[in-house]
Amino acid sequence: MQKIIQDIESRYSVSEKEIRRNNLCFLTIPKNQAISLVTYLRDYQGYSAFTLLTAVDWIEEGHFQLTYLLNNPTNYTEIGVRTMIERDHATMESAHHLWESMQTYQRELKEMFGIDFPGSPRVDEDFILEGWTDIPPYRRDFDTKKYAEETYFPRPGRETNDPAEYMKSKLFPND
Amino acid sequence: MDIRKIFQQYSDRTSYPEIGEDGKPIIDLSSHKYLKMWQGPQHPGVTGNMSLELTVCGDEIVESKTHVGYLHRGFEKLMERRKFIQCFPTCIRMCVAEPDPNEYLLARCVEELSGIEVPEMAQWLRTLVLEMARLQVLLRGVPGQGGTFALGLGYQWGNYIRDLILDRFEELTGGRVYHMYILPGGVRGLLPDGFKKRMEENLKLADEFVKSIDDLMYSNSVFKQRAKGLAVIPKEYIDKYGVYGPSARAAGVMRDVRKTNPYLKYAELDFEPYTTTESDVYARSRVRWYDLQTTIDLIRQIMAKMPEKGEIKAPTPNVLHWKIPKGETYVKCESSRGEYGMYMVTDGSDMPRRVNLKGPSYTHANMLLEKLLINANIADTAGIMVSLATCPPEIER
Amino acid sequence: MSLKDILTPFTAWKRVARTPVTVRDPFNDRPGADRYRGFHKNDVDTCIGCGTCESICENEAIDLVPFKDPVSGDSGLRPRIDYGRCCWCALCVDVCTTNSLTLSNEYTWVATDPEEYRYTPGVDKKSWDENEKGWKKPEGNYEFYDLNRVAMHHLHPEERSDSFIEMVTGYSKEQAMTEADRCVECGICIATCPAHMGIPEYIKAVRNDNMEEGMRVLYETNPLPEICGRICTHKCETVCSIGHKGDPLSIRWLKRYIADQIPSDKYKEILNTNNLEVNDKKVAIIGSGPSGLSAAHYLRLMGYQVTIFEQYAEAGGMMRYGIPEYRLPYDQLDKDINYILSLGVEIKYNTRIGDKITLADLGKKYDAVFAGTGLHLGRGTGIPGSDNEHVYYSTDLLRKITAGEKIEVADSVVVIGGGNVAMDITRSLARLQMKKYGRINIIATSLENEENMPADREEVVEAREEGAIIHPGWAPQSIEIENGVPIGLHVVKCNSLFDETGRFNPQCSMDIKEYWPGKMVVQSIGQGMDMTYLSDEFKENITFGPRGRVQTNEYFQTGVGWFFMGGDIIEGPDVIHGIANGHKAAVGIDRYIQDKLNSKQ
Repeated sequence: MQKIIQDIESRYSVSEKEIRRNNLCFLTIPKNQAISLVTYLRDYQGYSAFTLLTAVDWIEEGHFQLTYLLNNPTNYTEIGVRTMIERDHATMESAHHLWESMQTYQRELKEMFGIDFPGSPRVDEDFILEGWTDIPPYRRDFDTKKYAEETYFPRPGRETNDPAEYMKSKLFPND
Repeated sequence: MDIRKIFQQYSDRTSYPEIGEDGKPIIDLSSHKYLKMWQGPQHPGVTGNMSLELTVCGDEIVESKTHVGYLHRGFEKLMERRKFIQCFPTCIRMCVAEPDPNEYLLARCVEELSGIEVPEMAQWLRTLVLEMARLQVLLRGVPGQGGTFALGLGYQWGNYIRDLILDRFEELTGGRVYHMYILPGGVRGLLPDGFKKRMEENLKLADEFVKSIDDLMYSNSVFKQRAKGLAVIPKEYIDKYGVYGPSARAAGVMRDVRKTNPYLKYAELDFEPYTTTESDVYARSRVRWYDLQTTIDLIRQIMAKMPEKGEIKAPTPNVLHWKIPKGETYVKCESSRGEYGMYMVTDGSDMPRRVNLKGPSYTHANMLLEKLLINANIADTAGIMVSLATCPPEIER
Repeated sequence: MSLKDILTPFTAWKRVARTPVTVRDPFNDRPGADRYRGFHKNDVDTCIGCGTCESICENEAIDLVPFKDPVSGDSGLRPRIDYGRCCWCALCVDVCTTNSLTLSNEYTWVATDPEEYRYTPGVDKKSWDENEKGWKKPEGNYEFYDLNRVAMHHLHPEERSDSFIEMVTGYSKEQAMTEADRCVECGICIATCPAHMGIPEYIKAVRNDNMEEGMRVLYETNPLPEICGRICTHKCETVCSIGHKGDPLSIRWLKRYIADQIPSDKYKEILNTNNLEVNDKKVAIIGSGPSGLSAAHYLRLMGYQVTIFEQYAEAGGMMRYGIPEYRLPYDQLDKDINYILSLGVEIKYNTRIGDKITLADLGKKYDAVFAGTGLHLGRGTGIPGSDNEHVYYSTDLLRKITAGEKIEVADSVVVIGGGNVAMDITRSLARLQMKKYGRINIIATSLENEENMPADREEVVEAREEGAIIHPGWAPQSIEIENGVPIGLHVVKCNSLFDETGRFNPQCSMDIKEYWPGKMVVQSIGQGMDMTYLSDEFKENITFGPRGRVQTNEYFQTGVGWFFMGGDIIEGPDVIHGIANGHKAAVGIDRYIQDKLNSKQ
């Protein structure tokens, strides 16, 4: 694992690395190098299996983190390639040409996070949500609780008491 | 005498539809050559709540699109507003038929990110429960492949034994379907008295079932006729499309996390996952049949090797405000369908920042199924789907 | 395809002769397993309504609904469960602080009214209430929070028995955070604390390592956190929900931890008290004990001009003159007091009301007066020999030790009394003996037996560790006097203290006798109040209740409108009651003065 990280560091500008286990590490690299690194890992380092692509919304910092997790089926190690992209008008280079399964992930990210992957086949087709009009629901600023309260009706007759407040109201209301 | 050959003599549809410049079939519905039909979401031949939009020409599928979303409850998102312990009853619902790997992955992610070591006894119990889960799935899944070709009898036999395994689950975990047994830090109970004895009785029935399903299904001329040569997955598809577990092993590629990245107690157990090379529906089903035997054997090994007593849970911070430092990890295990993984990102708060579950169905039921269904017969759709063991809840989570 | 492939499937026919495996009567033939997670049961008598079940329920299926009136340690609420939401994960059972909540193994329930599926287990009677089987919290080391408190480090008896340095070292940051992590934030403790401190809030501040926030929470209800963090009687800990299965939270030590982290010069900045407003209303306070200081603090925050009259040379009252230094070091005492004085509270030392200045004078000069004069008079046993001049009161001796006056400690001492003050004087004299003679020879005796001794358990244990001998369950009969000095105490076995009606009526076995030699005898069986500053005409206007205590309204206002009283003379005796009284009286005084202003307008 150390060897391959050194190799990657010599070729790409790795800004952060996190070695989680001896068979799993995460590397953060700039957006414009991400697909290149993924391709390099696939074609030259044996990371031929693609495990997942997903996004993390760091809304406070104003960016999305994309994680491409690649698996090496010969030495059974995994590398997560992380890259940060702007949250506003989020767009990322498509990698659908690398694996057939990639387009499904990109389609889901478009729908759930609103991250566009221009050129990715069927990327604009509805995947899980059909007829969704709200903001992409996996963004942090989409409030599931608020949505549920507005969309569904709560069962009437529910009320609860906080033990401390209740005891105060009964035992020492004026203190 | 191959029915297909006779059929093909009268109607050669291989030229339909024509392929356009972009490499995609040109389907003109107004030509009356094609018909759109939906298989699912309510269809006995569909594994769970999903549907396939099929374009057929005669009874041959020329294009297929997978539609999911009938079961989307946004668990990954819901977990972002739940404390780590509260994620535990939520995560299991991401695969109904085999909930235990969900529990294990969540627990493992939390433990790994917060640096908790799980006691030996709990690790054995986790291994046992994961194998029991595989057993109950395969008891239904193996004969289920016959069911897709109208051979429902084996399914009844399997389901009876599965029910007995659920009885064992019930006495060990308190639940039959959602076991909620593997929680962050450990497990929720030791084996009850006499558990091993009762389990062994059930395993004897399972042994007998393995033999009788072989006679009923795998030696069955009709089953062979329909399953052999159907929906072959070429070896090069394994990485290209993301094929995992038994489906990959049927294509001669060794994919079994228990062997490649041993977790829990699998390194101490003696087993060899079966591989073959035919890669058709029959081969995939056969791999699962061997898996069933492996699992029965593994449960016996686990029960023989596990200690009688021991700690079941490591001390954890107070679960009501358990905070985990910023970090991320990916943990995987082998479900009955293949590599099952969870990616968790934490940000130092008492709730996960992001949880992403990756099950094999995500790739199997989408790009791969769409590809395999082309040129298949409508009647074989269910058989192909079941051979990939797709599970919709893990696609849409 | 072989002939075998066609024939073997027919082997399935052999199953035709088998007996069916179907359960014939699933309602009766198929009970749930021993651990089955079925319908809820709750032992409502054990349950304290802490609400951890509600906190952990990810489905929000649990509500807390009133079941009975709350009492100290029981919110009176009980969980009601909505089976439209419950997923039977049983986390509510595993997290339950009293183990009262369990699941039965019953799993069939038919009702036509959906409202029935929302019920309060244990209150709404169900057929499965008596089922023994079902899910219970797993046995063994299976806990959702640590039941064991982080041990507090004490100086070793050898290190402390000859000095008055503080014996409790306090928590480190790591220890405090570990201890704070055990809190389940139920808030049951708040009602029991006389000052109703925001305990879960400041414990949360420790957990989040936010000392400034913690400090602000402390000062909302308690202006003496360094003191309270050391010597509070911590009634809160007796009702802590974690205490039902394990050790209660170390609430007192956590409070001390917060106060210890903040240096004196940061107080005003953190508490935002740099520029307090001053109005033209004046309040006098008699006594600078906990109630007086507390009243002064809150009145000053409201803008009043506050003057304290203190009879001794230093402030603090019993906290300084009653509590030994090894429990409450003077620098920590001064830290709290100096902060209050720094807010602009004036203090006049060596000024005893009733001597040169009378209460009536104060009434004329000030808009209101608060008296927290405490219990400074020793109470005697009245047994033969107790009038000897070498038979002392513990209060006097403790005061002398603080004031630095010399005490001729004898090489053998007997202390009569089993309360905290008795332990204080026992341990103080033991230290003096150790310094003077290099060995300890002191016996303390109480009427109460070992289990019922009024002193805190840890006080008794620590006194013994330091070498004092404690003999509970003996009634003093007479002090043996020889050549005008005491030489020992005669006692008889005391069997019980109260009769059936609960009246104080000690029963002794007169034939079981003991004699303990001691050249110095100390009486420490309680204290009385000095009310001489109340003139006779004054007394006519105020009402006296049982045991000579003045009766006040809930704001500690006496029959004389401008005169308020609080602290040990009204409630207690302990520091936290005093603080609470002072705070409440401050609110009362504010209301009194504002009402008067409004009526004038």
